[in-house]
Amino acid sequence: MSKSSNNRYNGDDIWKNNTEKINSELFTLTYGSIVSQLCRDFNHNYHEVNNQLDKMGYNIGLRLIEEFLAKTGVGRCSTFKETVEVISKLGFKIFLNITPQIENWSSDNKSCSLILPDPNPLTEFVELPNLKDAEILKELWYSQILCGVLRGALQMVQLDVDVNFVKDTLRGDDKTEIRLKLNKFLKDEVPAGED
Amino acid sequence: MSNNDNDIILASATSLSTLTINDISKDGFGYNPSVGPQSNNITQETSNYLLSKRTTSITSPNSIYDKSIINKKTNEISLSSLSFLFCEIVNWCHKSSKGIQDLETRLNGLGYTVGQKYIELIKLREGFKTNKREIKIIEMLQFIHGIFWKSIFGKTANELEQSQDVSNEYMIIDNSPLMSKFISIPKEYGELNCSAFIAGIIEGALDSSGFFANVTAHSMAIPGFPLRTVFLIKFDESLSIRESLRR
Amino acid sequence: MKVYSIYILNKAGGLIYQNDVNPGLNRLTANDYLVLAGTLHGVHAIASRLTPALNGRDTTNPTESHSNKNAAILSTGKVQDANSNKSGLQSIETDLFNLYIFQTLTGIKFILVTSPNPVVHNLQQINRELTNRGELSKQYDQANEVFKHLYIVYSDYVMKDPFYSLDMPIKSSLFDMKVKEII
Repeated sequence: MSKSSNNRYNGDDIWKNNTEKINSELFTLTYGSIVSQLCRDFNHNYHEVNNQLDKMGYNIGLRLIEEFLAKTGVGRCSTFKETVEVISKLGFKIFLNITPQIENWSSDNKSCSLILPDPNPLTEFVELPNLKDAEILKELWYSQILCGVLRGALQMVQLDVDVNFVKDTLRGDDKTEIRLKLNKFLKDEVPAGED
Repeated sequence: MSNNDNDIILASATSLSTLTINDISKDGFGYNPSVGPQSNNITQETSNYLLSKRTTSITSPNSIYDKSIINKKTNEISLSSLSFLFCEIVNWCHKSSKGIQDLETRLNGLGYTVGQKYIELIKLREGFKTNKREIKIIEMLQFIHGIFWKSIFGKTANELEQSQDVSNEYMIIDNSPLMSKFISIPKEYGELNCSAFIAGIIEGALDSSGFFANVTAHSMAIPGFPLRTVFLIKFDESLSIRESLRR
Repeated sequence: MKVYSIYILNKAGGLIYQNDVNPGLNRLTANDYLVLAGTLHGVHAIASRLTPALNGRDTTNPTESHSNKNAAILSTGKVQDANSNKSGLQSIETDLFNLYIFQTLTGIKFILVTSPNPVVHNLQQINRELTNRGELSKQYDQANEVFKHLYIVYSDYVMKDPFYSLDMPIKSSLFDMKVKEII
């Protein structure tokens, strides 16, 4: 994050003034409680758990987008690059108080990676119990709910994207990376009255 | 999750007060007050834990054991994120439960594990400032009402009352519970209160401290505070015997 | 400016919320409200087709103006107007009432029916430095303010309610209360 000394990160004003803040530990513990309950409900079938987390995130994303638009008044982005920038500087900042880095743009500018900083509120102090169950390290994406949220929110603004995890520090990788890929812009669903 | 399942999938945190001497945890984790501390003997199984690569390398710079939990500046997060997450939890529990009571039990179970962890954390940070352990019911309740509530929600709970008619029943009242701030219960669901999650947090905290109780949430709106919730705490009878012995 | 009623339409044009605050006025039947909502949705869409093409005054093409707006948000962090209703029907002003339509990027429309513009008897020298639209647009700004608060209340009390399904009629009592407070 060496750029941060030059650019003041931008969601700051909205974060400081318009958001009601709470302690993030309750959030972390609640999320942890859900993930462990899901693991038990699905009998440790981690692919199912990932899917369920993704679905839950999708439902959240469909609703979260309204709050995001209400609080920031962001207009329609002209390029996917702009969209991702808005997501990382405003979206993540307002909701989770973190600012992921954007990296690794593909040549057609339709995919990129978001690197989540450590610690992030979902995984603070979390450790995957790999001694009991070795597969958990290979199969569970702990923060999968974030992928669903991004997918749902972008769906409501008529962008079809694929979001998935590539690396996760909980699994032992060096960083936490989410890959976003734009499939298409749903032109037919754009509401009338926009230019 | 099949709908053909006739068994209710219970939230898997069993209440500590119901554990008997014959209950052995499947995972080998968890404290059973009826049995007491497990042995610290080094056996084949325990040595696997001690010698595994992960345990011996826990002092690597990325380890969570290196981070301080007492002195760290608590991170802040937007209330909306928690509300959205809670909304989705209620939604998911609703889909997989069979009735209002079942939904409340599931929420209670989810809160239970949060409460167990939170009480440890808060005691570590704040509780030692008072230089003593709470062993009487009233002291424990005051701790929950004051320090505990403040650390979690940023404000103390509003009232703490003892029930006149029933012994061992106490009430903690919160005028505007944080997590259900934006939820309005439709009329068909009548008595449902999503603060069952918070009731679970209280129950987990009390059980882990040795004060076995059952906690439920009820809404009692008054003008000006439509979301006012009363957490009814019913302690075990064994506790009243213990209290009288300590007097 | 007095607000008479608020209607909220979903993406498909169906009425999901209505609130009439002035009890003195006659009410329509439930069916009429649904018809009214559908009509407004259609008229709004037709209007966007009828809007004259952007003339020479505004040569920046629309995508550029959006990027400028987003760049402004990103660099200053200040909230901008969330109204994405640029070429559809924006307002109807008559002698008896004013109607304003606001649309979000996700297709939700908020419709505000308010008291008509105040009659200005002595048109004083319009101070062009303040605003180049004059007295009559003051009410539009007020309506914009109401819209901002309404959108935030909507995103809070409706979106975070687990018992609300998307695009369905809104039945939340907290939302009702908050809407009444805004007005």
